[in-house]
Amino acid sequence: MITQNMINVEHLEPSDISSQSPLWWGQVCIVAIEATMFSILMAAYFYVRLSVDVWPPAGDQFPHTLLPSIALLPLILSAFGSYWASQAAKKNDRTGMLLGMGLNIILATVFFVMRIIEWHSLNFNWQTDAQGSYVWAFLGLHSFDYVADLAFTIVLFFIVLSGRYAEKQRLGVHVDSVVWYFIVAIWIPIYVVIYWGPQIVETQ
Amino acid sequence: MTKRNGEKGAGLKGAVFCAYAFVLFDACAGHQQSAVDPAGPQSGKIAVLWWFFFGLLTTIFLIVMVFTLLTLTRRGHRSGQEPLNASHLPPGADEKELTRIVAAATIATVLILFVLLIASVSTGKSISELGDKKNGMVIEVTGNQWWWHVRYWNDDPSQMLVTANEIHIPTGRPVMIRGMSQDVIHSFWVPNLHGKRDLIPSRVTTEWIEADQPGIYRGQCAEYCGLQHAHMALWVIAEPQAKFDSWMKHQLRPASPPGGPTGERGKQIFLNSACIYCHSIRGTAAGGQTGPDLTHFGSRRSIAAGTLPNTIGNLGGWITDPQGIKPGTHMATIPVSSEDLQPLLEYIEGLK
Amino acid sequence: MNQTEPIPNSSEREAQALRDLENSWQTPRGMIGWLSCTTHQAIGMRYIVTAFIFLLAGGIEALLIRLQLALPNNTLLGPDRYNEIFTTHGTTMMFLFAVPMMEGMAVYLVPLMLGTRNVAFPRLNAFGYWIYLAGAIFLYWGVFTNTAPDAGWFSYPPLSGPAYSPGKRVDFWAQMITFTEVSAMCVASELIATIFKMRAPGMSLNRIPLYCWSMLVQSFMVIFAMPAVMIASSYLLSDRTVGTHFVNPAEGGDPLLYQHVFWLFGHPEVYIIFIPALGFVSSIVTANSRREIFGYPGMVLSIVATGFIAFGLWVHHMFATGLPQIGEAYFTAASMMIAVTSGVQIFCWIATLWTGRLRMTAALHFVFGFIAIFVLGGLTGVILASVSLDVQVHDTFFVVAHFHYVLIGGALFPLFGAFYHWFPKITGRLMNEAVGKLNFWILFIGFNLTFFPMHILGLKGMTRRIYTYGSEMGWELGNILATIGAFIIAAGGVVFLINIFLSRNRGEIAGDNPWDADSFEWAAASPPKSYNFEYLPVATSRYPLWVAASERTFVTGLRNDRREVLVTTLMDAEPHHRLVLPRSSLWPLLTALAVTIGFIGSVFNAWYITYGSILTGLAFVGWFWPRLPVETKP
Ligand code: HEA
Ligand code: HEA
Ligand code: HEC
Ligand code: CUA
Ligand SMILES: [Cu+2]
Repeated sequence: MITQNMINVEHLEPSDISSQSPLWWGQVCIVAIEATMFSILMAAYFYVRLSVDVWPPAGDQFPHTLLPSIALLPLILSAFGSYWASQAAKKNDRTGMLLGMGLNIILATVFFVMRIIEWHSLNFNWQTDAQGSYVWAFLGLHSFDYVADLAFTIVLFFIVLSGRYAEKQRLGVHVDSVVWYFIVAIWIPIYVVIYWGPQIVETQ
Repeated sequence: MTKRNGEKGAGLKGAVFCAYAFVLFDACAGHQQSAVDPAGPQSGKIAVLWWFFFGLLTTIFLIVMVFTLLTLTRRGHRSGQEPLNASHLPPGADEKELTRIVAAATIATVLILFVLLIASVSTGKSISELGDKKNGMVIEVTGNQWWWHVRYWNDDPSQMLVTANEIHIPTGRPVMIRGMSQDVIHSFWVPNLHGKRDLIPSRVTTEWIEADQPGIYRGQCAEYCGLQHAHMALWVIAEPQAKFDSWMKHQLRPASPPGGPTGERGKQIFLNSACIYCHSIRGTAAGGQTGPDLTHFGSRRSIAAGTLPNTIGNLGGWITDPQGIKPGTHMATIPVSSEDLQPLLEYIEGLK
Repeated sequence: MNQTEPIPNSSEREAQALRDLENSWQTPRGMIGWLSCTTHQAIGMRYIVTAFIFLLAGGIEALLIRLQLALPNNTLLGPDRYNEIFTTHGTTMMFLFAVPMMEGMAVYLVPLMLGTRNVAFPRLNAFGYWIYLAGAIFLYWGVFTNTAPDAGWFSYPPLSGPAYSPGKRVDFWAQMITFTEVSAMCVASELIATIFKMRAPGMSLNRIPLYCWSMLVQSFMVIFAMPAVMIASSYLLSDRTVGTHFVNPAEGGDPLLYQHVFWLFGHPEVYIIFIPALGFVSSIVTANSRREIFGYPGMVLSIVATGFIAFGLWVHHMFATGLPQIGEAYFTAASMMIAVTSGVQIFCWIATLWTGRLRMTAALHFVFGFIAIFVLGGLTGVILASVSLDVQVHDTFFVVAHFHYVLIGGALFPLFGAFYHWFPKITGRLMNEAVGKLNFWILFIGFNLTFFPMHILGLKGMTRRIYTYGSEMGWELGNILATIGAFIIAAGGVVFLINIFLSRNRGEIAGDNPWDADSFEWAAASPPKSYNFEYLPVATSRYPLWVAASERTFVTGLRNDRREVLVTTLMDAEPHHRLVLPRSSLWPLLTALAVTIGFIGSVFNAWYITYGSILTGLAFVGWFWPRLPVETKP
């Protein structure tokens, strides 16, 4: 009777780097929260846009589309760096993690510089009108997430570089990549909305 | 009462329910402002719908309560007994029967909701069709913190009447309220005539109202709009077409000249004080726009959007201390010396 | 102590194991220990106690409202005070009492019910509490320094915008929202991860206790609803503090958009409060009718469906804004649909009670009260769902009556039932049942006396949020009854408090499972040890404690010398891997402080967003910094 009623779990791994980890689910929740937030903002943008005839409001120039489009390239490539790092984390391959994260960090920085240049060239700001408020909100919020996760990646990079890491930190690398995919992916619709949106909906 | 068919039946139904619910509701007793004491086709249809919902839902409530309480008295299931057998499940036959009953109740719920939905949507549709009549007229109502600016629309600009806080309408004629707002969101609501419609800045909302009977109906701003949201009432006065026309004719005239020397003095006091920055009196130099039009103020029922009955004493109180009577109101306290007050009051009250 | 029976080893090793467990799960002593505590029982209790204090605060505000409205032309409160008080009342009750209370109960109960030892992210849990506390203190700091918000609990612009609400009042409101939503999102994500991944082995999806199902759905609703209010409150804040034009009609913004976004949150919000209560009811009904719940699959489906439908009804709060008719019909239909899911649950409970062997505990009294009050409130909800009727009763006391019926009847009565039901688990002592029943009757009578007349007042044209009314309106009788009723409710509150304090010290000792209930929390000691279970239980049935003692199964092989728990698979809850949870830590508190500096500062100076972010970033680094020496041994 006695042994029958026990399940022994001693043989199970003491940690796990995969979607089986609770942390992975926690991260998915955060991604869901952010995705919802951006989706609502995008819906709101169109709601406001469709309730007026002239868009962007008089005086605002159309945002440029060339630089932001080129910038997509380093951004999307940085997700591959992230993927590389997360695969390496599962295999506990330190060099792989460092290279993947390094690539991620460099490309992400390139993208961000391009964004700053483009942002700088806008001839309206958040106080100009509703369109200005939205464009700046999109850029601001996305940059906030972007910089936060980039900073987190840099910290992880140095932890791994120092060599004093365990499963927890490897799981961190894996989960960090989940967030990064999201940050890259959500930018694409935002990019469409703020750079192409005015053009697309404008011609009726 | 004659031309609305269906209304009679409704009246009957309403009366039955009224009798039944009188003790409880005390709502049909002709209060000033009541959603279940209809005076127009719109509110009439809503009241019919209301009593229908009320009756059906009360029945459902009672049925659910009866079953809930019966669980307490079920034979052999009474409190204090031993738990069910070790499985904690009653016999399978019981469960089967329960499943059938619960499924039936669920289906009944769905069906009832369909009925309610159809009743609701069709009432909404028939209400929205009421306005489509040839002889409709348009009144523009603009919400202000905390009073109503009213303008009677007319193709001829000289016939456009501007007034405040009191709306006269002819009976039996649909009236479109075009709602707008100067500042925050307000809501136009005269329960005896129709439901409410928000007045939203930068938008125009519309609603058709109509009164069957001559009468005086109170309305109130229903959307919270700041400090004096409580004191933002209005009156709708429904009168027969002829009476309405003569009212209109009178109102379109500029202010009548003061009757006597005191009134004349009052006029001068008014015109020489700050009042004119905010108020207009047509036919005089006063042309302010930020306060209610006072051209025929003396003919109105109340002061400051239903805050006080319009008497000369109340008016004196209002002018000397608007902030005391309606704290926060946007009317400034203009010092008026005591010997000037009486003439001023006489003048303003004389603006019939 | 059922679970210790089948343990094979000698009592010596047994005792050692217990000491190890005790050591690794205990919280360090002293002030620092208290501040760094991360066990779910302690955090849960903090939520519950704090939220209860805000129930009292909100209740006192309610009494002030009632005193002011008791008589026509009353001058007890001026318009400014009245507006502040009803705004604070609504805000407190919704954001500082109801939601955090439901979360606290879940933080306490869910890990116990799932048969595990803590929530998935213990430090995030602590962080969430501190953030909630900071937000609550922030709002009441405003209240006590005469900057209480006064634009209503949904603060519609333009009234709440910079032009019509100068000063900082509305900023306090909006920023308090930010705090509570961050806190709610922390709890939601950790509950989702816990319920998905840390269930007892064998607790497959179709064996999860209904309460945990309801918390799972509630958590998902939080995840998808809170971003909307985050946007709504940020619209307001940024329009007010940095001059954006999101809701400013003069520059292309739109005040109605705010309403859409707010209610896209606001409607789910009321179900966020209500759905956990459904879980309480199911637990109480099961335990006290002493039979398995009738229609478990139907119940689960209804809860899940409620969660989905709740996101499609927000416009029913905006019928008076004048929408196109087709939209109105859709939202009427959707709102009525939710009556089906509520109905199914009511029917299932009645069926369970019908065939059960009832034990009329105080908790069950509250369930009966719940059914009576909630059904009435739900039916008035169906009335409100009809556009034609709603345009009449919208923004009147009819609506006030509706939502107090569903909030108090639908959430507070089950909550009080839950207090009576789980008090013995939490304290180890039973509450006095006789006083409990008295408590119930006082609350039930007081409640109906307060809120029933409000339906009639609403039909008689009494609009809400008015600080006074004239004696000619015919509203005196209803109002005076309501005020008397409110004081009877307060008396009921006092009886409850007395019962709590007396029972805590002198109540009958409860034992592990005083109600002979079915779920895992009753297998733990009362009060539970910091590690909950010496051996994690295995779910061999949907009602694991109603299985014969000889057939119960337990988990061995977890290490006792660190905070180890078991992670299981999502669907079938098969053991997958072990997980080491973090120990006590001060970082959650420090991070919360950093966030608070950013949030509060930014109300006064937008640059604090930057400062706060930098501080928070630093705190996070501290939070995640690897502890040395790194433990790599399995
Ligand atoms: C716990 C919170 C809670 C709950 C559960 C509900 C439940 C419901 N609510 Fe309520 N509601 C609020 C809290 C809640 N509400 C709040 C706080 C507000 C006001 C916010 C503010 O303005 O400040 C509000 C306002 C509100 C409005 C807007 C009113 C207005 O401002 O004009 C509407 C309109 O449709 C509405 C509808 C409903 C409906 C249809 C339900 C349904 O879910 C009810 C379903 C239940 C039943 C119907 C009873 C059980 C069913 C049966 C026994 C089956 C048989 C029934 C039938 C056949 C009909 N609610
Ligand atoms: C869960 C939510 C909740 C709860 C529990 C309550 C509880 C109560 N509410 Fe509230 N209410 C709201 C949510 C809630 N309310 C909301 C959202 C609004 C809308 C706000 C807005 O329009 O913006 C509102 C608005 C509202 C109004 C309308 C105001 C207006 O529109 O002008 C009124 C009026 O009567 C009212 C009354 C009450 C009363 C009498 C209680 C009572 O049930 C309270 C009873 C509780 C107590 C009395 C506490 C117990 C106290 C003691 C035991 C005293 C002892 C004290 C110590 C020992 C320190 N409420
Ligand atoms: C700063 C602007 C301002 C000034 C100056 C001002 N008023 Fe007013 N007045 C208002 C406003 C605004 C209202 C509407 C107040 C309300 O109902 O809340 C009002 C209302 C009134 C009313 C009631 C109108 C109605 O339809 O109910 C009267 C009468 C009145 N004012 C007379 C005067 C007189 C006389 C003076 C000068 C002594 C004066 N006002 C000066 C702004 C002003
Ligand atoms: Cu205007 Cu309330
Ligand atoms: Cu709702």
